[in-house]
Amino acid sequence: MTKKFFCASVFALMASSVAAQDVIIRDAYIPVAPPGAMAHAAYMLLENPSEQTRSLIGASAPGYAMAHLHSSQSNDGVMTMTMVEQVDIAPGQSIALAPGGLHIMLMRPSAELAAEAGAGYMVDVTLLFANGETQTVSAQMRPHGADGS
Amino acid sequence: MRALFSLLCVCCFGVSAGHHAYGQVQGVMLDAPVPLPDVSFHDEHETIYSSADLKDQWTLIMIGFLTCPDVCPFTLANLEAAVAETGIRVRPESVPKVWFVSVDPDRDTEYVSEYGPFFHPDFRSMTGSREDIDAFVEASDGFYRLMPPDSDGHYDVQHSSAVSVIAPDGTLRAKLQPPFDPGLTAEFLSRLQITYRKELSQ
Repeated sequence: MTKKFFCASVFALMASSVAAQDVIIRDAYIPVAPPGAMAHAAYMLLENPSEQTRSLIGASAPGYAMAHLHSSQSNDGVMTMTMVEQVDIAPGQSIALAPGGLHIMLMRPSAELAAEAGAGYMVDVTLLFANGETQTVSAQMRPHGADGS
Repeated sequence: MRALFSLLCVCCFGVSAGHHAYGQVQGVMLDAPVPLPDVSFHDEHETIYSSADLKDQWTLIMIGFLTCPDVCPFTLANLEAAVAETGIRVRPESVPKVWFVSVDPDRDTEYVSEYGPFFHPDFRSMTGSREDIDAFVEASDGFYRLMPPDSDGHYDVQHSSAVSVIAPDGTLRAKLQPPFDPGLTAEFLSRLQITYRKELSQ
């Protein structure tokens, strides 16, 4: 019975890992923010190698009070930031979180984080997907100007 | 006023569209200089930046807020590159100064002076009274709006993305527009300065 259950569990795990292949996350970084900045932005490339659409629905990072998915848009010359409920990544699709567009807004860094933040500082950003999976990526703080940001 | 800017933008594009390098509009020259009201901004050290300080220098003024994690830093980083490019094309005394005016004094006053110099040691950042901010924004055909706070008390600020270009006579002469490509923006600014000097010599 136990053995059967074990086999079934392993099988189920394998099946789920095939069905929900991890999103490939590349080049995650956070531009070093000016002193006193109450919000930082995290950028990265997300690629969905699976055959199902994957939906990013949230994020979190230690040292920040909260994190939102945000999009900056320019409408008639007015910059607007809006909360984004979810970012759908179709099978085979890549989506760039990049300056001036989609980004993860990391809000209210702790005093401790703010004191230590600087080029090279690593932040573990955890992404939450609609299927309940989470993936964590290390984002490095980089000076402005590196990578065209 | 907004319609006038749009029209000029179209004209500018139409004229330059044939020229490869100017295919993308980086700025709009105004057909007539716009005088600015007497306003006074400040930082947390009570350093005062007034309209009088705009005289005898070229100044780029952008509005924004410090809790802006994406577009404001992106714009300032691009302006830093554009000003460096402009420095290759114009005399040292004509290299534009950059002022960042926060329209969110309630949250930003405490740290405002540190924001600009983070992008370049010569950049300045400041805020002001609501009256002075509004007077400047209205005169420069800008726009901002503090959005209603969410349940966490966080609020966003919508604001114009264009950057005002102030000539040494203290008048508004042009607006720079995103994406602030460094080379094209520098080209636009140096042409604007040539136009300005010709106008003065007439």
